[in-house]
Order: sequence, then structure tokens, then C-alpha cells
Amino acid sequence: MGKLKKRSWAEPFKIKVVEPIKMTTREYRERVIEEAGYNTFLLKSEDVYIDLLTDSGTSAMSDYQWAGMMIGDEAYAGSKNFYNLEAAVRKFYGFKHLIPTHQGRGAEHILSQIMIKPGDIVPGNMYFTTTRHHQELAGGKFVDIIIDDAHNPDSEFAFKGNVDIEKLKKIIDEVGEKRVAYISLEGTVNMAGGQPFSMQNIKELYELCSKHGIPIMLDATRVIENAYFVKTREKGYEDKSIEEIVKEICSYCDGATMSSKKDHLVNIGGYLAVNDDNVAQKAREMVVIYEGLHTYGGISGRDMEAMARGIEEAAQFDHIRARIGQVEYLGNKLMEAEIPIVKPIGGHAIYLDAKKFLPHIPQEHFPAQALAAAIYIDSGVRSMERGIVSAGRNKETNDHHYPKLELVRLTIPRRVYTQAHMDVTAESIEAVLEERNKIKGLKFVYEPESLRFFQARFELLK
Amino acid sequence: MKSKYIEPFKIKVVEPISQIGRKERELILEKAGYNLFSVPADKVMIDLLTDSGTSAMSDNQWAGLMMGDESYAGSRNYYHFEETIQDIFGYKYVIPTHQGRVAENILCSIKVKKGHCIPNNIHFDTTRANIEHAGAKAVNCVIDEAYDTGIEHPFKGNMDLNKLEKVINEVGPENIPFCMITITNNSGGGQPVSLENIKQTKALVDKYNLPLLFDACRFAENAYFIKTREKAYEDWSIKEIAKEMFKYGNGCTMSAKKDGLVNIGGFLCLDNEQMADKVKNLLILVEGFPTYGGLAGRDLEAVARGLKEVLDENYLSFRIGQIKYLGDLLDEANVPYVKPTGGHAIYIDVKKFLPEIPQSEFPAQALVCELYLAGGIRSVEIGSLMFGYKDKETGEDVYPNLELLRLAIPRRVYTTAHIEFVAQTIIDVYNNKEKIKGLKLIYEADILRHFTAKLAPIES
Repeated sequence: MGKLKKRSWAEPFKIKVVEPIKMTTREYRERVIEEAGYNTFLLKSEDVYIDLLTDSGTSAMSDYQWAGMMIGDEAYAGSKNFYNLEAAVRKFYGFKHLIPTHQGRGAEHILSQIMIKPGDIVPGNMYFTTTRHHQELAGGKFVDIIIDDAHNPDSEFAFKGNVDIEKLKKIIDEVGEKRVAYISLEGTVNMAGGQPFSMQNIKELYELCSKHGIPIMLDATRVIENAYFVKTREKGYEDKSIEEIVKEICSYCDGATMSSKKDHLVNIGGYLAVNDDNVAQKAREMVVIYEGLHTYGGISGRDMEAMARGIEEAAQFDHIRARIGQVEYLGNKLMEAEIPIVKPIGGHAIYLDAKKFLPHIPQEHFPAQALAAAIYIDSGVRSMERGIVSAGRNKETNDHHYPKLELVRLTIPRRVYTQAHMDVTAESIEAVLEERNKIKGLKFVYEPESLRFFQARFELLK
Repeated sequence: MKSKYIEPFKIKVVEPISQIGRKERELILEKAGYNLFSVPADKVMIDLLTDSGTSAMSDNQWAGLMMGDESYAGSRNYYHFEETIQDIFGYKYVIPTHQGRVAENILCSIKVKKGHCIPNNIHFDTTRANIEHAGAKAVNCVIDEAYDTGIEHPFKGNMDLNKLEKVINEVGPENIPFCMITITNNSGGGQPVSLENIKQTKALVDKYNLPLLFDACRFAENAYFIKTREKAYEDWSIKEIAKEMFKYGNGCTMSAKKDGLVNIGGFLCLDNEQMADKVKNLLILVEGFPTYGGLAGRDLEAVARGLKEVLDENYLSFRIGQIKYLGDLLDEANVPYVKPTGGHAIYIDVKKFLPEIPQSEFPAQALVCELYLAGGIRSVEIGSLMFGYKDKETGEDVYPNLELLRLAIPRRVYTTAHIEFVAQTIIDVYNNKEKIKGLKLIYEADILRHFTAKLAPIES
């Protein structure tokens, strides 16, 4: 990073409303994490000091968004907030049809049901938990086509979210283009450490897919963060605006699912956006059953207004620079303390490399899960396991999937925490590193069948 | 005779409504294909499309919105939500959903199999859709009086126990995963179910070992009718009556957008741990983590506060009084509607209102359009457009028994003057009804056609 790390990322806002947080003692935290089965998901939020569980739905909204909340039009049909949202999505993403959903997984559900036939293949740049699950539920099979660098936490490659075009070609040759439902393309790939794809890569992907008539469906959840990396890392884009870059990315895609709870700076909401009239018509028929009428999709009018306003704010360069600057600040602090993290630093989170952090705990004893619990006990900072527990079991062999990456994610909510909170977090992780030999592995006490990481319970190995 | 009611609140925040002329409305309606679902909300003067999600929240609820804890897991608002619902509904397991239809969907995905049959007093349209989607049959067992719009019966939502027992014997209890009661009975005119009837229904399903679940959307309105119409409960509080009703069930689905006095939210309650675990696993997939269920933390808080407010007897006497007031005004001009007035809406009997227009020409939809043109009022058709279909075997059009127009009153939103304006508009239209023309379909979707259908007037 060189001189960059000294550069200030001061927030382009001041604080208008605050929410008090509770301080707890180490003894108290030892007790509640045991009660929570060593799963940070099962902690009560009021027992958490700094909550880095997720950046999803945890943003601080602006006064402009809150003002929008006061002009919610809660009519069941034709709310004016819907039209504002539709206009914002067209302006910033460029898709023709907008179908709002209560959150991103609602859109994934509908898209998967419409586009995937049993036996279809869905190639994507690394899996995401809920996305893959919906693809499987519709009878499809997810196949990972991300570049190999993405699985190596030490690779400093600038675009570790890229699709490996050769891998995709091979799949198309093997199964035939007709069996490929669509490409599931994610902006700043979450499970790879918040890593972006390049514009060059999506252009090549588009070229290949056009030839075979395979649609590209974007997971646009953090595509604005992806656009920031394109602007700052890819030649030819340094003078383009974030808005222009996002639009160019979307121009290569046939549609997108969106969890607005990330980039759009809101606490609830999402959508499906597509260009195809028939897909849109089917989606509108399905959204009534699962979500709500197609002009509200299961979100209140006021929340659609907050989304519309959030989109405008999210695409501001000053905002996104400060956002990613804060993540880099924490990452750089940890690197200075020689704490093993996934490199380069991603867009929304820092990922600790638990295999290196806790080399004495084998993967089947859940080192990342144990590390997340240890960090909580030290300081009340809540993080999330993204390793073997999240990966789940292989349906055929019933053994665990053993992902190459065994990570703890420290996810930074947008506009919520200050520099001092980041310092406390870094210091706590450093303290845990010094005492790491005392950390023990875990074993399952309760293991849910699907998406087990959410509700699983563990106890310490003797 | 007009009934007196008074709002137990004053107005704190207002929202301007547009005032546009008949000429402009004519253009808008034509563009919307004579379907009010396609009219932008800001072109509507008084919006009686639905009472769902359209309530005015209180300052206490708005304060709750500012106390939202948006943590992904373990939000304090969830614990308040859970505690409040356990206290009123009495069920141990409380699972939030973003709205009521998802609670139904999850329940059906887990419990309902092909060939099953679910009895109810009358199924609401999304409940029916969810059950049929799962390959099962939705059967209505309401008392016959429910279908006679002119009869005054205090509990027209009651289950007909003979019909119910007949259904159980015909399909066999092993093919009935659960039985339901909808309170109040929306599709039958917002009519209540008596506590006595709930108890009898419970005794009957117990005989066959069947679980009983409530569709509880308008439970407080139902409890108010029990208090005012069922002698044994006149001294009971609304909360005591609610607890008593739910005691006889094994759980409920709830759209909090009605009696939760909120704009978004719902939940599913269960008393069975095993079922609750299954529901939670599915919930994560389609909705969200079990401590937020697809809702913002602030919205969980607003539901918790709303559920406490809705139990206030002064509020309910205003609420039910406002509906009755509109009914009384219509009585003065002998406008035909479903009697007695229900809990959340007035249902105009369009077969009697427009006897000269046959059901093939969508008389209720024609009246919906005329009320919009005459006064900018948005109502909804519940008749041949919503429920009519072509018989797959004979190819003939089948029409429902009742041809109704629903005027659903949002909670705490409109004033007495608005209600009087609505009544006056309807009476004016009634007195000039020979001008109203039937409609013909130009476009219809395969399912739930009423949302997106396009129509045109039939020129004579």
C-alpha cells in the first residue's frame, strides 16, 4: 500500500443520531457465549460491543433517507415510492423491469425458480450460502468457475473475483450450452474475501456467453463496491464515475438480484431486475405468492423510498472511498501487527485466515468458529465464521465440505463505527493472537440440516 | 340512525391527498385498463382498496421505529416482539415473517401434501392459493347464513359443525393436517366467529385428533364483537377474550398489517417444538434469520407496540363504530350491502345494486370504476373478475355466488368527513345507476388475474 495507508479517509458526513452500546465483562461474555453454543449468531445483540457479524441491513441511514421514511406511501397498489425506486434502478443500473422483494434471498428464490430446470448447471464465481441453496432447491447444480487465485489467501492479485473463462468453456463443452441455466456472477465476491472482478473479465465473459446464448445474472449486492475497485485498479477507468462503471457492468448482464441491505444503505429491501419481458411477467406472477403485490414486493412504501435515496448516496465517490477506506484502515492495522488476513483487502470486510491463526486446531475441529468465539470473549467484538461450518456437508458422501479457505469475517457496517472502534477491534485481535495457544477446538452439539452455520451449537473439546 | 363514535387520538402527522377532476380521472382509468390496481396511488383521493398495511401508526410506534436494533442476530426488538406475542396469543414459539402470506406459505410447505384437505370457515384468497399450490384442497365450512347478504346474524363467520364433521368423515382425518378458523372472516364480509363456536369447533377436531390453527389477522376486531355480542364475555377485557380464543388453538398465522397496526410484518405462532424447528430452518431460506424473519428491527418493534395498542377498547369501539357509521349512512338511501356491518369493511351487494348487468359483464368491477370516476374513491371487486374462471371440462364460465364491492377502511387514517363523502358519492351513484355500463376483458393473466387484468366498457 506504500504511502496510501497514511492517507486520511475521513467520513463525508457527521453524526446526527446515536445508539448507546453496552459494555460487558469478560466473565459475563464467557458465560453468554457458552449459552449461545459458541455460535456468534446466537448471541443477543445487546451483549455485543462492536457488531461486525454482517454488513447486511446494519447501515446507518442518512437524514435524507429518514426524511424519505416520513413520506412513505403505504398504498397497496401503485405507491409513489415504487415509481421513485423504479426510476432510481433504471438510472443507476439500467435494467428495464424492477420487481421489489423483501430482501435479496426473495429475489434469488424467484429467479432460481423461473430460470433453472432440474438437471441444469449454474456456473458462478464462487458459491454464496443462500444463493447456492436456492439454485439447488430449483433442481440446479452450482459449479465454481472462479479463478484459482481466489482460493489462495496470500495471492495479491487485484481481481480475485474474476471468472476463469477457460473453466467455463470446459463446462459448456461438457454439458452443452442448453444445460447451462445462466451464469451467476457476483460483484465483490463475499466468500473469497470481498474480492472484485475486472471490467476486462466481464467483457470476455459476455463475449463467450453471447456466442452460446447463455444469460448472465448479476448478484449486484455489492457491485458499487466492485465499481470502486475497477475505478482505482483498472487502467482506463480512473476517470469514469462510479455511476458510469456500474452501468457498464450491468450492460453486459441480462438481469440482477439485489440485496439492498448492503450497497444501498438500508435496513431492509431487495429486488430482482431483468430486461426480458417474459421473465419479468413470470416474476410478477410469482412475487404475489411469496412476497407481495408487484408494486411493493413485501416492503413498506417508506422502505422503498429509503432504497431509492440510498442508491443515489451509495454511488457517490466520496461515500464509497470512505467506506472502503475504513475497511482498508482496519486491514492495514492488522497487517502491521502481522495478523494473517486474506489479501488484498476486500470491499466490505476483513477475513482472518484461521488456518494460520490457529495452526494447532485441525479443520474438522472448526478453527474459524473457535476463533470467532475467542474474539468475542476477549472484547465483545462479534464476527462470523466463513469456513467449514458455513460450507456444510456434501449431499452424496455426507462428509463435510472442506473449503480451502477457513476464515473469520469481520464485516464493517456502513457509516456506523468510528476509527476508535476499528482500533479497539484490531487491538483485541492482536491480544487474542498472543494467547492463541489457549484456544480449543469445538464439536457439534446440534447440527441443522441446511444452512447449518446459522443455528448450530457447539461445545469446547476437552 | 347514525351511530356515534369518537377517535381516541388526535392527528400528529398528515399526508396531503391529491384533488383531481373527473376529466383527469377518466383518462387515468382508461390508461389503467379499467383496473384500479394499475392506478397510481397519488391519483386516488380516498383509498379504500385494502385495510392491509395502510394503518396510521401512533407516535409511540414511530418512536419505536427510531429504537430499531438492526443487528442481524439477536436484536432486542425481536425479544420484545416475542414477549408481547407470547403474552397475548399464549403460544410458545413465535416466528416473524415479512408478511402474513409467508407464514401461510411456510406452514403449507411443511404440513400440506398432495391429496390433503384443509377445512376453514372461509379461506382467504392467499390462504387458498397456498393450499392449492401444495396440491391440496381448501374447503369452506361456514354457516349458510354467511351467504345471505340481507340476514342479520351476530356471528356470520361461525363454522358449521355439521359441514365440518361431514368433510372430516368424507376425506378421512388422516388427510387433514390441520383445520383453520379465520377471525374475522374476511371473505365473508369481515364477520366474526363466536367464542362458543370456537369451543365447539375445538371439541369436534379433538374428537378426530386434528390440530386447530387460527388465521388471526383481525383477532382484536373479532374479540370486540365477542365482547359486545356474546353475553358471557361482556365484562371481559379484549386481551382476556383474545387469550381465551387462542387457548383453543395450536397456533396461528398473522398478517400484522391488519390488527398489528403496522405497514409491514407478520408472524407464525406454534405450540409444538418440533414443528417450530422445521419452520425456522425453512424460514432462513426464504425469509431471514429467525430473530428478524425478513423484517427490519424497527418494524418488529412497531408490531410489538401496535399489538398492545389494538387491545384498547376505546380504539376498537371507534374502529368498529366508523365502519358501522358508513353502513348507517348507506341505509338511509337503501344501498344494499352485507349485513350486519363487519369489522374492517363494507361489502356492497352488487347483484342487488346493479341487477341489470349480468355477471359476465363484471358488474362489481364496473361499480368500482364508477366510484373512482365519481369521487376518486378506490375500492376493490370481489366477484366475477376475482373468482370467475372457465371450467376446464365444459369450457363454460363459472361465477361466484356473491358479487361484491369491498370498501376496506384503513385504521386511524380517514375522518368522519371522509366517511360522509364516501357515503354521499355512493348514494349519488346509486341514484344514477342506469348510466353504468358493463365491462369486457381484453387481457388476463393465468393466475390471480384481477391484479393485472385489462378491461373496456361495453358500448350499447
